[in-house]
Amino acid sequence: MEGFTGKRVGTAFAITEEDCLQIHKAVVRVLETGGMRCDDPRAAKLYEQAGCKMEDDGKLVKIPEHVIEAAFTTCPSDFTIYGREPRNDVAIGKGEVHFATMTGRYIRDLYTGERRKVTRQDAIDGARMADALDNVHGLYKSVMWIYDEPKIINSQILVGEMMKNTTKGMTWVYNTGAPNEIPDLVKIWQIAAGGEEELRKKPHVLGHVIINPPRVVDVNYTDWMIGFCDAGIPITVYSATMAGATGPATLGGMMVQVIAEAVALVVLAQAYKPGHPLCFCSFNPSMDMRSGLWSFGNPEYSTLGTGIAKMANHYGVPCVAFGNTDSCETDQQTAYEKALVLFNYALAGISLTWTMGGTAGFNFVTWDQMVIDNEVASFIGHYLKGIRVDAERLSEDLILKVGPLPGSYMNEEHTRKWYRREFLIPKLSNRDFFETWERGHTELQDKAKEKARAILETHESPVPQAVQDEIDDYLAYVRERDVDQTAK
Amino acid sequence: MADHSEYFAKVAQAVENSDKEGCLRLLDEGGDIDPLDILEQGLGRGIRKVGDDFGAEIVFLPELIGAADVMKAGVAVLDARIKASGRARGSQGTIIIGTVKGDIHDIGKSVVGSMLQAHGYDVIDLGIDVDDEAFIAAAIENDADCIGMSSLLTLNIDYMGVVVDKLEDKGLRNKVKVIVGGAPVTQEFADEIGADAFGWDASDAVKKMQQLLGT
Repeated sequence: MEGFTGKRVGTAFAITEEDCLQIHKAVVRVLETGGMRCDDPRAAKLYEQAGCKMEDDGKLVKIPEHVIEAAFTTCPSDFTIYGREPRNDVAIGKGEVHFATMTGRYIRDLYTGERRKVTRQDAIDGARMADALDNVHGLYKSVMWIYDEPKIINSQILVGEMMKNTTKGMTWVYNTGAPNEIPDLVKIWQIAAGGEEELRKKPHVLGHVIINPPRVVDVNYTDWMIGFCDAGIPITVYSATMAGATGPATLGGMMVQVIAEAVALVVLAQAYKPGHPLCFCSFNPSMDMRSGLWSFGNPEYSTLGTGIAKMANHYGVPCVAFGNTDSCETDQQTAYEKALVLFNYALAGISLTWTMGGTAGFNFVTWDQMVIDNEVASFIGHYLKGIRVDAERLSEDLILKVGPLPGSYMNEEHTRKWYRREFLIPKLSNRDFFETWERGHTELQDKAKEKARAILETHESPVPQAVQDEIDDYLAYVRERDVDQTAK
Repeated sequence: MADHSEYFAKVAQAVENSDKEGCLRLLDEGGDIDPLDILEQGLGRGIRKVGDDFGAEIVFLPELIGAADVMKAGVAVLDARIKASGRARGSQGTIIIGTVKGDIHDIGKSVVGSMLQAHGYDVIDLGIDVDDEAFIAAAIENDADCIGMSSLLTLNIDYMGVVVDKLEDKGLRNKVKVIVGGAPVTQEFADEIGADAFGWDASDAVKKMQQLLGT
């Protein structure tokens, strides 16, 4: 599907070209002289093969600049997260801006208004909402996990239900750590794609590989790196570094550390599978120094994100992002924090941002917020176009023809031709004059709830029944293997 | 009786300023002064002021952590002197704290530890990724009054219930109290697993400990 494009994409970043060079120099110093702690012997071996200097019995890896440079030469500059229907293909790194869903542990029930923990049905509903909305170009986990299913098969059920209810692409971050999690999820994605080779040819998943900050390559994410690469699933590489806690309290220092950490994963991934598609990701907040929690709504977060995007440009790889807020309700704080983050990212040309439907930093989703975010995405898409200047749009002849007052443009063919293309026509946002609004109106959130209910009541899954049945069969097998057998 | 109030104020200030070097230098210089007094009127006063300022959002975590670090170093020096003089530092109680198995987040837990220490508790911090055996072994070895468990990961908090059950199995449940905390932890959860108390934040943890142990 076509993302949002325009002359304003990739025009505003938090750092300059000169800054990139300075940051790169500092990154090299950190990686060459300080290195990364490496907890996984498989990763250590790969680093050694790539030409890194190993110390402390392979537990400390020092990465020379020429190894870094070599790694980036094999990275593709762009790739595609395929839909399981071509209309849902999403181009990453091609100057298109896309938005996708966010996740949550809690939801506000669309019908009862109750704030409660998420269930299997919510996982299904979230996937269907995402499938139906035009400006949702992909999915994060439709819910964080499923509270009414066992932990050991939780990820499998979540992915299974998502794959049964949408053909849009998805992304996955390590969830429960259950022993069969990786092979089971790969299997479900293969079923959804139509087979092992089909998934490899047209991967509809973006996998996450993350550094444990500061500067530790760990066993869990090495498992996932290998799993994703073996299955042909592109990856995003980054760290969860938090300014003031696991990273420096200066944004410049954060850039050095988070880019060093991402680069270390680029070296690792390209050592394992040269040419495997990857991208950077914005996921680096400051720590709120009152609560000790991460802050996604504070300006530091997406400011760093646009720095990461600029460094990604510098190295010739794409960039994706998480976009979230810290409000615990879908309120004014959600609105302003989210708008600022997403607009900031869009101007930096970040290819894909997971955000829609969510607030409270990964903790809360509502389907009405997803509907509102769908509209916000269309606003941003419009902003990105900027002012298109060409002979036809300049309309000089028309301006001269219409002349001064009493001239008017209302009845002109030109107006009929252009207004729908040049103006946004919002679906939810109020455009009534105050007195009209006073006479009677529907609140924004209620309009969004109505739309969400309509989707849940009418939207059908585009996934063929045969595929859904095969996924169900696999889930039944997984349950028998991990739950029923264990209980016996 | 010599008036050391100016000296104690300087020690307190060093704590408030996260000045470890300065504090240790002052302690060095104050070798003739009763270490119990320095502990209470110098270090203790400093950390309590920082705790109050934290509650009032005048200072934040970096200052609290810095002060706690100075406190820890200072207490170590003074403890040695107190022991050498054949006396004991009074304690409000002994608590074993740690972040539960599977979780490596430690800042919140450390802040709670510092606040408890500031209020006169003996705190043994087992660090992160601590399993049930380690909690209980430390509780037995230190004759602890309480185990305090922390976790930030929603998927890990159930492990706190495992520790409580283990305490029951070993017949220690009546002797050793349990307090829990962490962002996803709630009173409801604490009740579910049979914990004795739940601390919303570090200050609340201190209050709850005081109620639990009656100190």
